Amino acid sequence: MSPAGCSHVNGYKVDNWKQNLRVIYQCFVWSGSAETRRRKAKSCICHMCGAHLNRLHSCLYCVFFGCFTKKHIHEHAKNKRHNLAIDLLYGGIYCFVCQDYIYDKDMEQIAKEEQRKIRSAVLIQVTYTCSRVNQTPCLRGLINLGNTCFMNCIVQALTHTPLLRDFFLSDRHKCEMQSNSCLVCEMSQLFQEFYSGHRSPHIPFRLLHLVWTHARHLAGYEQQDAHEFLIAALDVLHRHYDNGKKANNPNHCNCIIDQIFTGGLQSDVTCQVCHGVSTTIDPFWDISLDLPGSSTPFWPLSPGGDGSTVNGESHLSGSTTLTDCLRRFTRPEHLGSSAKIKCGGCHSYQESTKQLTMKKLPIVACFHLKRFEHSAKLRRKITTYVSFPLELDMTPFMASSKESRMNGQYQQTVDVLNNDNKYSLFAVVNHQGTLESGHYTSFIRQHKDQWFKCDDAIITKASIKDVLDSEGYLLFYHKQFLEYE
Amino acid sequence: MSKDSRMRATINQKLTEMGERDRLKELLRAKLTECGWKDQMKAHCKEVIKEKGLEHVTVEDLVVEITPKGRALVPDSVKKELLHRIRAFLSQHAT
Repeated sequence: MSPAGCSHVNGYKVDNWKQNLRVIYQCFVWSGSAETRRRKAKSCICHMCGAHLNRLHSCLYCVFFGCFTKKHIHEHAKNKRHNLAIDLLYGGIYCFVCQDYIYDKDMEQIAKEEQRKIRSAVLIQVTYTCSRVNQTPCLRGLINLGNTCFMNCIVQALTHTPLLRDFFLSDRHKCEMQSNSCLVCEMSQLFQEFYSGHRSPHIPFRLLHLVWTHARHLAGYEQQDAHEFLIAALDVLHRHYDNGKKANNPNHCNCIIDQIFTGGLQSDVTCQVCHGVSTTIDPFWDISLDLPGSSTPFWPLSPGGDGSTVNGESHLSGSTTLTDCLRRFTRPEHLGSSAKIKCGGCHSYQESTKQLTMKKLPIVACFHLKRFEHSAKLRRKITTYVSFPLELDMTPFMASSKESRMNGQYQQTVDVLNNDNKYSLFAVVNHQGTLESGHYTSFIRQHKDQWFKCDDAIITKASIKDVLDSEGYLLFYHKQFLEYE
Repeated sequence: MSKDSRMRATINQKLTEMGERDRLKELLRAKLTECGWKDQMKAHCKEVIKEKGLEHVTVEDLVVEITPKGRALVPDSVKKELLHRIRAFLSQHAT
């Protein structure tokens, strides 16, 4: 095994060899998409004996797969004088002349890049499956600087968002802003602090100051709304990402915030006369759900409602579930005669129904239970208990599932094979108290079954029951399976 | 191909297609690291290299030497867990 590589690869390194090699890695070694996996499943068998085991190798010069153990690939190499093959299990390159695996710097580079791509995608799923993974401790309390518990909870949730953590810890933000007022830089710093291994509480005064500077409506020492803070923080991070260069072009943003949090909400308006449908899709960072007990009427549960264990939520007699709220959110709504819409098909104002469904799901879905009512007459907090699950399947609320639902009736068509819409709970923000004086705390998930309660500077171990029994104000869910595109 | 190997091939196809194979691989990797198997194998490799000499040893030598030992040293609990997961997956996706 010579570290200097072998000279026999020079015959291979011609024309578009780099791209060809990448394709081989992406299709047959480290397949990251559903399409490449299907192809790999079908075609990766030995061309001589049909086995998929026996250390299958692929010839680098032509489309030939052969067992290594049974020497089928060796025969091919000899007959065709194709001296290079790649190990489909580990991606190593074998040279039949040297009779060993060789390490060519250029090829290694390509292999590493392709492997990194799939590693991060699969890894997300596994973090919540293993009970112990090599991770540095990252729990630190946050000092309350004067009613700043609303900010502390959101910081705890964001620092424990897996993809966001990976982004900030791999130092991918190159700042070009002049002054020290870039929020992305500050978040970077914050992540470094959290993962430094220090256990003492952190004092987030710089973050607070930056938030006051960039989101004036949140400035001051009064208690603020954690949800408003979340949206403001995401907005500033999104704007600062490219150092303000992209200004007002929300549709062409590829910042980390958009990649993780942005979903697409489809709104279908159906004309009651000609049944023509007008569809729009709007981006969203969170879903705000109305609760029973608010002044807006909550849709009564369907007859099959008490059997609603779609997401395994505990249905203590009569209690509302997150699924109920989502069903209400995505139900068709008659807009009434006072809100007629101009129909493009009828060319006149007609009554219509409107329905919201999810067109595109974000990697992190944040649900906001609208507990604070600020209507003209009253300002109050709705403390109705809403039970929420550890694992959530969003399939019934997708635009694609809409066809199976009739007006007002809910049919369960849970597609077990479709893993794309499955989510895991990883953070919960709770509010205790009243509208006038209250306190925010959060529950954060670490590894599979370990939850911790974060009450400003105090971190304590919590049980899953503690989490699921809590009132719930902001619920953070993370997609279970990620595709690399 | 015998009926047995055809069944294996079909199961493998299903696992690969749904991405479950990759997930199981990662899970296995983590479990084997956790229980110290990886370190044991590393130590054994070092012994083999010392024996054969760094200049002459090939990957093939190592594979031949450590495969039987590696297979034998996998803890039963790990085997059980993976088997359980495969079974669960197959029962969910049976056609």
